[in-house]
Amino acid sequence: MFEIDYAESGEIICSGRLDAAQSAKAEAFLGRLDASRTLDFERLEYISSAGLAILLKTQKRLSESGAALKIINVNKHIYDIFRYSGFNAIFEIDTL
Amino acid sequence: MAGQPFKRSIDSVAEIYRFSEDIMAAADIHESVRFPVHLAIEELFVNLVTYNPGAERDILIEVEVANGGVAVTITDHDAAEFDVTKDRSVDTGASLRERKPGGLGLHLIQHMVDTLEYDYRGGRSKIRFSKELETRDV
Repeated sequence: MFEIDYAESGEIICSGRLDAAQSAKAEAFLGRLDASRTLDFERLEYISSAGLAILLKTQKRLSESGAALKIINVNKHIYDIFRYSGFNAIFEIDTL
Repeated sequence: MAGQPFKRSIDSVAEIYRFSEDIMAAADIHESVRFPVHLAIEELFVNLVTYNPGAERDILIEVEVANGGVAVTITDHDAAEFDVTKDRSVDTGASLRERKPGGLGLHLIQHMVDTLEYDYRGGRSKIRFSKELETRDV
């Protein structure tokens, strides 16, 4: 199961497993963003290429208006995925 | 080795996760092995579903644990030929403007598993990969 929602602080909390079956939920949420936001991945356990595609698509769209996603509290395994994907060069990322 | 057939649907991904997680958890497989194994199974299964949606037979997934490592065999009897061992590298140094969403699945697998084999005969596609425990992960 994957969940995505705003925290009171305005950050976006992602939790669970962002796999191919859950990527539509992430796309529906992130597709509505129109300004820079921080994604908190502390409770995100897993991400596959389907989730990476949504993040990249959102970052590309936001960059057209000078905005960007920042991703914080990334666990070691997800950071490895980001590193192999080159996402560490196109997102600002803070690890746990 | 434990095996189970799964329906040719993206919705099978959660069931596949539970199947492989139960086997690896019971064998106390380290998280540094479990994560890339789950990733590789999902990416390969989704590839088979995406590029051959008209086939009818289920896709068989077999998981074997030994010495802290995991070997997985995925068999599709109605597959089009697609060699997953061919170089599928993505230019990860490209700028954000140049990057295109998608295409990272096989690129990631080829970086994260230790062995990857592909065999195609008469419409049957068999993919086998393994991930060993690295002592620095323990």
